[in-house]
Parts: sequence; C-alpha cells; structure tokens
Amino acid sequence: MSKSETIKTAFKAAFPVMMGYIAIGLPCGIMESQIGMNWLMAFVMSMTFYSGAGQFMIPNMWLAGNPIASIIASVSFVNTRQMLYSAAFSPYFEKVGKRLAFLFSATVTDESFGVNMMQYQSGQWSAWQATLVNLFSMTSWGVCNALGVLIGDALAIPTAIAAFSMTSIFICLVLDQKMTGLNVFVIVVSALGVCFFKLIGLAGPAILLGALLGVAAGMVFRKVVA
Amino acid sequence: MTLNQFLIVYVCCLIPMLICRCAPMMLMKGRDLPENVTAALNLIPPAAFAALVANDLFKPDMFEGGITQGIVPLLAALVVVVVARKTHSLIACAITGVVAYALLLFLLQ
Repeated sequence: MSKSETIKTAFKAAFPVMMGYIAIGLPCGIMESQIGMNWLMAFVMSMTFYSGAGQFMIPNMWLAGNPIASIIASVSFVNTRQMLYSAAFSPYFEKVGKRLAFLFSATVTDESFGVNMMQYQSGQWSAWQATLVNLFSMTSWGVCNALGVLIGDALAIPTAIAAFSMTSIFICLVLDQKMTGLNVFVIVVSALGVCFFKLIGLAGPAILLGALLGVAAGMVFRKVVA
Repeated sequence: MTLNQFLIVYVCCLIPMLICRCAPMMLMKGRDLPENVTAALNLIPPAAFAALVANDLFKPDMFEGGITQGIVPLLAALVVVVVARKTHSLIACAITGVVAYALLLFLLQ
C-alpha cells in the first residue's frame, strides 16, 4: 500500500472520532479555561495525556476543591483501563518495531482503540494505519481543546448531548462484534459488572473491573462449553 | 490553577497513563503467549466496548431527576442500535445518537 493510500485510509477510519471530538473537545477546553489553563497547556495535555474522561475530571475536581493528590489518584485510577487496550493489541504488533509499537500504544485511547480494533478484526490493517488513526484523532482532540480554551464561555455547548456521540460510537462497536454465544455472554456480564461496580461506589475503576469480570466469565464459559 | 500546579497534575497523571498504555504492549509483544492468554485477549474488545457503553448509559442516580431525564439516553441508545444494525457506520451512529438525544430531551421535557 502506498504512503498516500495509508494516510487516506487511516484518515477515513479516524474521521467519525475526529468529528465527535469537535463536539466534546470544545466543552472540555471551555472547562479547562475555567481553572485558568491557557490554550497551550490544554493543547500539550491533549497531545500527550489524551484522555477525555481524565481531562473532564481534572477541572471538575479542581473546581470542587479537591486536593491535587486526590485529583491525580482519581484520574489515574480511571485510566487503568488503558492496560486492557494495550494488551489486546499486542498480538497484532508481534512483528512491529519497538519504536512504532511504543508510539502506537502511547497514543491509544477509548475511541481509537475501538476504531482500530474494528479494522484489525475485519482484515487488512497495518501498524502504521493504526498509529495514524491515533495521531489524527489525538490532533483533532488537541486542536478542539485549545479552541475550547480560546472560546471560553462565549459558546454554550450542552455537554451531555455532545458526549452522546461517543456513546453512540461505542454502541455501534459492540454491535459489530461477532455475536457468538461466548461474545454475547461476555458483553452481558461486562455491562452488568459495570452497573454493579458503580452501584457499590466503585465508579472510578468500573470500566476496568466490569471488563475484567466479563473476560473472566468468558474464560469460564469457554471451559464449561468445551 | 497556577503553572506549577498544572505541571504537577499534568506530569503525575501522564506517567501512570503512559505506563498503563505502553507496559502491557511492550511486555507481551513478540512473545509466544499461552492459548488461554490469547483467548482472554480476544475477549477484551467485546468486554471493553460493552463496559464503555454501560458506563455511559448507567448512572446510579440517573432517575433522581425524574423518569424522563433518566430514560432519554436509554431511548436514544435504542435508536442508535437500530441505525447501527442497518448501517454499521460509526459516523451515522454518532450523528443519529446526538440528534435523537436532543430531540427526545426537547420532546419529553
């Protein structure tokens, strides 16, 4: 595949996420401006830390008067789910050089994990295409956050509605999984697991714990059925 | 937030994030993984996507502001399910979801 073809296909795959980031990156930037972050801080944080959930949490917790240590601990706890994404991609990066594998894994987040995993599962997808999806998505996130800071309060965006674009993307990704008995079981247990962990007050790591519970239940299901 | 406070939060959040993102890939990449581990890795996508959806749709206090407020995201999600089944398109789902959510909020409140 030529370089331009690689870039084009990656851009096409990343496009829905990039559009979604306009809807949630701007309000995130607006919130960041409320705690005194300038556009450069927001841009640098978005282009390296790159976490929607984390970047919404920091201004929220800061404005609520939480101490810095508590903010860092909570944000880091929520982001532990990233370990799952990195592990899930490792078989596809078996023959990929260390530098590219590092760049790819350092720039994965929920949405680019979803888009890249869908492409890998459906056949031809390369490490470069996957990394470009991450970089396109991240750049859109960074630019939108910086713009959000510059706009400040001049624009009122209903965050709950805008954020639903990402929920919708995740729904599509769930439904695009092969609906085998095993996968359906894993999906149901993971979803119920998240609800359970949120109900008992473990909202921070609920995604990681719910998904791990789903995977563990799936492994038991495999043994019982086999 | 001063520049120093920002730098502390930023660096202290970035380091664990990079470890979580990169360590599993760098440790597992290129190794012959046992069949059970490979099987478990294959279960991560459905588990993670389902967990992300459930995390967005379920909030313990979602019905505290009234049934309407709590049910809007669930109804909008049902609309997205229909579109996802028909189109398999992420962008179509994202647009439909936002429009359905906004319309339902407008109609039901």
